[in-house]
Amino acid sequence: MATTKTNSQLVINGLLNENPIFRLALSMCPAVGISTTVRNGLMLGIAVLFVQVCSSCTIAAIKNYIHPRIRIPTYTLTIATWVTVIDLLLSAYFPVAYKAMGIFIKLIVAFAIITMRLEVFACKNPVGKSFWDGLGMGLGFLFGMVTLGFIRELLGMGTLLGHDVLGFKPLLFFALPLAGFFCVGFMMAVFNYVEIVFNRMKKKRG
Amino acid sequence: MKEILRITIGLTISCLIAAFVMGSVFTVTNKAKRHNEHMDLQNTMLGLLGYSKSHPAPPDLKLHPVYRYIIEDGEARYLGYMVPVRKNGKEVYELLVVDLEGKLRERSGLNISPEQAIELSERETALQEVLKPPKRFHYADSFIVATLGKQRLAYLLPGEFPGFKTFIRVMLALSPSFEITGLEILEQEEDPGLGGEIVQDYFKNQFVGKSFKKLKALKVVKKPLPEEYRRYLEREKYKDETFTKDQIEQIQQKYRDADIYALTGATISSKAVTNGVKNVVKKFAYREKMLERIMTQERVLAAF
Repeated sequence: MATTKTNSQLVINGLLNENPIFRLALSMCPAVGISTTVRNGLMLGIAVLFVQVCSSCTIAAIKNYIHPRIRIPTYTLTIATWVTVIDLLLSAYFPVAYKAMGIFIKLIVAFAIITMRLEVFACKNPVGKSFWDGLGMGLGFLFGMVTLGFIRELLGMGTLLGHDVLGFKPLLFFALPLAGFFCVGFMMAVFNYVEIVFNRMKKKRG
Repeated sequence: MKEILRITIGLTISCLIAAFVMGSVFTVTNKAKRHNEHMDLQNTMLGLLGYSKSHPAPPDLKLHPVYRYIIEDGEARYLGYMVPVRKNGKEVYELLVVDLEGKLRERSGLNISPEQAIELSERETALQEVLKPPKRFHYADSFIVATLGKQRLAYLLPGEFPGFKTFIRVMLALSPSFEITGLEILEQEEDPGLGGEIVQDYFKNQFVGKSFKKLKALKVVKKPLPEEYRRYLEREKYKDETFTKDQIEQIQQKYRDADIYALTGATISSKAVTNGVKNVVKKFAYREKMLERIMTQERVLAAF
């Protein structure tokens, strides 16, 4: 059952309607644990974007050759391969970035969002559509991580991207892992509220 | 049965393809990665000695690594020091085998150049030629002696000790009289915002200037960090409001014998770093003195 959505719809879908963190509530571990600063969120987001797009394309391309009984191991293997590739490439050619995010990259293998996207979308759709879906989902994750990082870094440490903006630390609590849950919950509420308002406006007009 | 065979073959083929992709990427990138790691370490070491891009190191600055190995010969255990020595104007490595009482047991030349010695595997091959089985050896640690011309400038010693969560890896710079001249945290996974603050200047610079005598009795105090001291420790951050030379000297005098001010909410991390640094320096000083004595007794012409 292939999708009927256009490419731009697929990207918007990943960013808003089915945002991995705020709507699907997937990959909460990194969302809570790593989004302590904008920088961390941004780097992990970019890495996930890369892995998601590459894995989606690979699986979409070989979907006819995968035995249905072993599809999950094959997904994991594909993701692990791409994660290793990006890990090796970064450590060789971008040592500065690798130093900051090296430990996070290996974690991507276990991210629920990537496996879920392969199972739900990439194994049923052609390569082109899967690329756009992967891009949308990756961007959605990136957006979520940066937003969380922004809130938590500003409120927890009073800095943004490492630059001192407030000059003091408002609430150190926000830098700790448990505050991640509060931020995610708060953002979910915002997303739901926006959806409600949007639907109401649609009704009035239509 | 047919199903199982198909699954097995399918999985094997996917694994082989994945292995091939990962393997080829590894071969392509490995050299660059090694180079990066080496350059990174080199830059950290130069940074600890006070050199940077705007203030490059003079050409006669040389770094001489000394590697320490633990040698097992049946029940007995010895320490093996790989020391760079000068021989006919060239720098070569010599192995000094020392027993636990500090007496020299063996002395032998090694067939390895200083460039090769950076690689662990190269050192192993060279050592195997000298230490024949049943003798076994394994790598313990290393330290680096920095010389400027003929003068000994500093010791650089990498160290590792347990922190609050996992191991903390550091690099220390010591003056020839074992006074701490720099501390750099290479790897840590403490809590961000709490123990993670050990990488900040206002914590790690507190160690700078502590003499060996003071270090042996160094404690962690749970008192707020005085504001002027904090500004002094972070002075590289506030470039516009630099201190005058007199002020710096005055503050240095005042806090020379101060204990380490604990980080807010991270006493365990602060204590871990303080005790870790203390142990690393104490052990090093003991070994260095022993090695120095042996080298004078045996007339080893060390390159440093």
